[in-house]
Amino acid sequence: MLLFDHVSKCFGDLRAVDDLSFELEAGEVFGLLGPNGAGKTTAVNMAVGLLEPDEGVVRFADKAFDRNPRDAENRRSLGLAPQSIALYEQISGADNLRFFGRLHGLRGSDLEERVAACLDFADLTDVGKKVVSKYSGGMQRRLNLAAAIIHDPELVLLDEPTVGVDPQSRNAIFDRVEQLRDGGKQVVYTTHYMEEAQRLCDRVAILDRGRLMALDTVPALIEAHGGPGNLVVRTGEGESRHETTEPLKTLGELQARQAVDHFQYLPPDLETVFLNLTGRALRD
Amino acid sequence: MNKIVAMAAKDIHILFRDKLGFFFTIFFPLMMAIFFGAVFAGLSRGPANIPIAVVDEDRTAGSERFVGRLEAAEGLALEQIPREQALDQVRRGQTAVMVTLSPGFGAALDNPFVNTPQVEMTVDPTQFAAAGMLRGIMLEAAGMELQEMMNDPSRMAAANEANRQAIVAFTPASPARDDFLNFLDLSGRVSELIDQLGLNNVTTDAAPGGFGSPLEIEQAQVQAQRRGPTNSYATSFAQAMLWTLIGGSVSFSMSIAIERSRGTLMRLLVAPITARQLLAAKGLACLGATLFTSTSLITLGITVFGVRPTSYPLLALALLCGSICFCGIMMALSVIGRTEQTAAGAGWGISLPLSMLGGGMVPLFLMPEWMQTLGNVSPMKWTLMAYEGAIWRGFTLSEMLLPCAVLVTIGVVAFTLGARNLRWDTG
Ligand SMILES: Nc1ncnc2c1ncn2[C@@H]1O[C@H](COP(=O)(O)OP(=O)(O)OP(=O)(O)O)[C@@H](O)[C@H]1O
Ligand SMILES: [Mg+2]
Repeated sequence: MLLFDHVSKCFGDLRAVDDLSFELEAGEVFGLLGPNGAGKTTAVNMAVGLLEPDEGVVRFADKAFDRNPRDAENRRSLGLAPQSIALYEQISGADNLRFFGRLHGLRGSDLEERVAACLDFADLTDVGKKVVSKYSGGMQRRLNLAAAIIHDPELVLLDEPTVGVDPQSRNAIFDRVEQLRDGGKQVVYTTHYMEEAQRLCDRVAILDRGRLMALDTVPALIEAHGGPGNLVVRTGEGESRHETTEPLKTLGELQARQAVDHFQYLPPDLETVFLNLTGRALRD
Repeated sequence: MNKIVAMAAKDIHILFRDKLGFFFTIFFPLMMAIFFGAVFAGLSRGPANIPIAVVDEDRTAGSERFVGRLEAAEGLALEQIPREQALDQVRRGQTAVMVTLSPGFGAALDNPFVNTPQVEMTVDPTQFAAAGMLRGIMLEAAGMELQEMMNDPSRMAAANEANRQAIVAFTPASPARDDFLNFLDLSGRVSELIDQLGLNNVTTDAAPGGFGSPLEIEQAQVQAQRRGPTNSYATSFAQAMLWTLIGGSVSFSMSIAIERSRGTLMRLLVAPITARQLLAAKGLACLGATLFTSTSLITLGITVFGVRPTSYPLLALALLCGSICFCGIMMALSVIGRTEQTAAGAGWGISLPLSMLGGGMVPLFLMPEWMQTLGNVSPMKWTLMAYEGAIWRGFTLSEMLLPCAVLVTIGVVAFTLGARNLRWDTG
């Protein structure tokens, strides 16, 4: 449904997105994982037609996107939650949803039903009548997400939806994303948090400096690029780290030599995948 | 101290990065300086002449002498035209004051001991300052008349002889009459006696006192000619309505910048609506808001302050055209300012000089003539003309068409230019 075909986008000399290709599969949560400046937002903006690619094609529902004039038909089936909160602070949460719903052609009882459903989805029913400026950061985030799905789009793009949110609200957002997938939506989810991608995404595209480093399911990425895990053991002599692909065997060997008081196995994860692919840590 | 310098340097850096912010921080004050400089330079050279219409219904040597004195005075542009035409010009704001010299004016001027000469001023209510200036000039002219007469024994004698004959003819002989005739004789010899006594060195050369004001001036506002008592709110409400249009257009021009900075523009652009719809929505919102505020204002003026528009249909037309004009201006302004700050800066930076040029701050007659001509480009001038035309100048439909056509044209052109050049990027 969404296809990037050798897409590049430059800002002056900077190639913000460089030869990016991927195709979304039905019913998946697709992750775009990369550090700050990797080109995630640029890719998302091209996906929704806010930016025009310099090279390559972005296709959506088999139609090429034009930036402006924009194809209203396509827009009905996609929803965007921008990275920075994009809401009218002076009006209530419900009125925000109502406004964005109207923009998408909803009206009357349909509109009110969707507003109620989205407030419920964002767990904001109680505060729906309050003005948004009075919301906490987490509440605004959830409303930002709800505003993206007010018109029940097939494809939802969430650009770093958990930035600046406490762990509890973050978990709530994870649940919502899973709920969307279970409801049959396709979701594009950008993040620079490895754990989020690992937990939520069916497939993850790892981006660095505009380039696609790898694209696969999380286990496959780890299998291919994760390298060995780490076995951390504590003995009378102190703590030591041992790279290994067979932790049980390594532990046995170590125990044969001296008594192990405590051990912990750190399997390879997306962090190590990123490190191995780019030579740099995902978070620095 | 280092921190302060660092912060200041950062602010200046940011300002210079935002070229428009820079423009409006530096160039706007410069423009203000140039503007006021030009106004005051104009003043020191003498402002443009105040347009005055003189209706001389007396047509005597005296009235012509008086008109001659006004013509010689600085700062007036005199025109002698028939009464109806003069009144019409004042009503339309083309002439500041109409001065009427009624029959008998010349006779009173030649014989000020019996009658004080009278003139009648009909004033454009926006031109009170000009009227004040003219009042001074006329008093001076009448004073000079009086003084010349006192210093001219033959004219004094002629006036005395006329008075003597009138008194002898119409009053019976009495001691009081004799005393008065003696007084007339003596007053005819005032300058002769002054010379004999050598009082020239003692007295000032001021006009002789004792007769009160040398001229009686009756003043009326133009609308008083047509209906009821004058109402200064009629003009101040027109001004206030103009300012709500300006304020509305500036804040709406900021709203696009605010949508951009708050990220909501992104949502709008991703929604299934066209750029054209978005622009239309902004234009409509601005139109609705400015119409609402200007209509509310004049409604308040009518209900509370006794403003009586001369035509309600024309007032509605003027309100609509004024709002259309400023919504166009709003769109053009919103292209210029990309951030909230530059949008506000651009809005006020353009609106203030235009409204100054349009007479929104300094009365037009105080400005040099070239600046008044330049004022024709100011939409504020045309808005005021339309508002005033409907509120108290009593414009006819055909008189209203010109300002309204200008306003709609400005509005459409500005909106089109703005809409074409609006950048839709969200960053
Ligand atoms: N409008 C723009 N003009 C110039 N450069 C831009 C613009 N938008 C993005 N960039 C640059 O392109 C690169 C990619 O930016 P992008 O916002 O896509 O990254 P990102 O992966 O979303 O980062 P983050 O995690 O910080 O949101 C960055 O170096 C950024 O500075
Ligand atoms: Mg981003």
